Amino acid sequence: MAKLSGLQKQVLSLYRAFLRAARTKSVEDRQQMESIVAAEFRRNAKQIDRKNFIYIEYLLRRGNKQLDQLKSPATVRLSTLDPNPEP
Amino acid sequence: MATGILRRVLSRVSASSPSRFVRIRAHASEAEAQQVEQKATASSNLKTFAIYRWNPDSPSKPELQEYKIDLKECGPMVLDALIKIKNEIDPSLTFRRSCREGICGSCAMNIDGCNGLACLTKIPSGDSSTITPLPHMFVIKDLVVDMTNFYNQYKSIEPWLKRKSEPPVPGKEILQSKKDRAKLDGMYECILCACCSTSCPSYWWNPESYLGPAALLHANRWISDSRDEYTKERLEAINDEFKLYRCHTILNCARACPKGLNPGKQIQHIKSLQLLG
Amino acid sequence: MALRAAVLRHLRVPVQFHALARRECQPTPCSGGSLRLFSSHDDHMTKDEVIERVLSVIKCHPKVDPSKVSPDVHFEKDLGLDSLDTVEIVMALEEEFKLEIPDKEADKIDSCNLAIEYVYNHPMAS
Repeated sequence: MAKLSGLQKQVLSLYRAFLRAARTKSVEDRQQMESIVAAEFRRNAKQIDRKNFIYIEYLLRRGNKQLDQLKSPATVRLSTLDPNPEP
Repeated sequence: MATGILRRVLSRVSASSPSRFVRIRAHASEAEAQQVEQKATASSNLKTFAIYRWNPDSPSKPELQEYKIDLKECGPMVLDALIKIKNEIDPSLTFRRSCREGICGSCAMNIDGCNGLACLTKIPSGDSSTITPLPHMFVIKDLVVDMTNFYNQYKSIEPWLKRKSEPPVPGKEILQSKKDRAKLDGMYECILCACCSTSCPSYWWNPESYLGPAALLHANRWISDSRDEYTKERLEAINDEFKLYRCHTILNCARACPKGLNPGKQIQHIKSLQLLG
Repeated sequence: MALRAAVLRHLRVPVQFHALARRECQPTPCSGGSLRLFSSHDDHMTKDEVIERVLSVIKCHPKVDPSKVSPDVHFEKDLGLDSLDTVEIVMALEEEFKLEIPDKEADKIDSCNLAIEYVYNHPMAS
């Protein structure tokens, strides 16, 4: 792997933290969380210009907030909704 | 990154004016206000607002977008102008607002280089004004900033009444003399709008470790409360090189406060108590 | 766009499975029963055992061609994985060997060899 930038390290660390948080949930919910989280990271990795620091940092902050919510034992499930569904 | 540079420029504007003009604030002066009115009675009175725009959903660099509105058909306050722009020109313009009378603290922003509440700040005279989010805060969208850190700092000073003993009359409120109550004047009025903290250079450089004027003002509010029995612990908890002692009495906080409070003075009070303690 | 509004509470909206069917692969063929038996004498794992289990975890990753996996492969150069895949593999290794690998260490693991060395030298691995 090429040497990681500080920003990349933060992203990977957030990804790890999400996967760790998912481990604390039930098997079924965990699988679902993992696939949603993985898809989100992958989609952003593909779509976002790696030099768009402002946006990446914004997503990191948003991700960390969502992670805090996911960590709470009261959160049992993760789901997504499509704001622009195909007609 | 452009954000950072822009913010820094703006910050310098506000920081460079001497802090002794504390009471003047960003409002138009009386004479200027009259002038504005006279013009307005003519035909139309166009003014340009350059407003900071950034939308995370269509990722591009932040920019200042210009809107021209007729002041003749607009209320007197900056918030009126923003609402007019949102209603009539660009519904995507995003800002926080609620009470429109300076009690909720939602519409704190930077207007022509000075932090203030849009609802309490008169539209400045002059052909154009620049409106940006609170300086050195993370932007969520347009004029909306991320207040998480600010609120967490407030939470960290435990802003509630803490007692060791039972109330004098069980099940009843704990009474306070008028004199003790008066000690809270100048602090209880704070609405946590973050104008002060985000105008403070010390807070800009150490936003994580320095509590900032708003949180420290509230710390003093509970330290000074005659009913609270954790005064010593509260003082101990903030007796820290960074949490408290990053205040260098720059007093931008007092200049910025839309409620006319002086957080710097409250911080001085905490510092003097630390000496006695 | 689909995940923009990823919401961390349950909503009454049908969930879209952008499923990487990956996890279904894991429990059964690799970390499961037969391999665990090796570690029955808990204290020390032999290097061969470590190698075998590390490789089987890596083979389980959906993007990995199992026939290409050998102890000398590099994740990115030989297996065509990216940094997110690597995170997933290292996380799977954590679970397989009941470890918690700190970020600083995890960032360095980019090949089978390094993974094997790390696990083998880790006192808590089991």
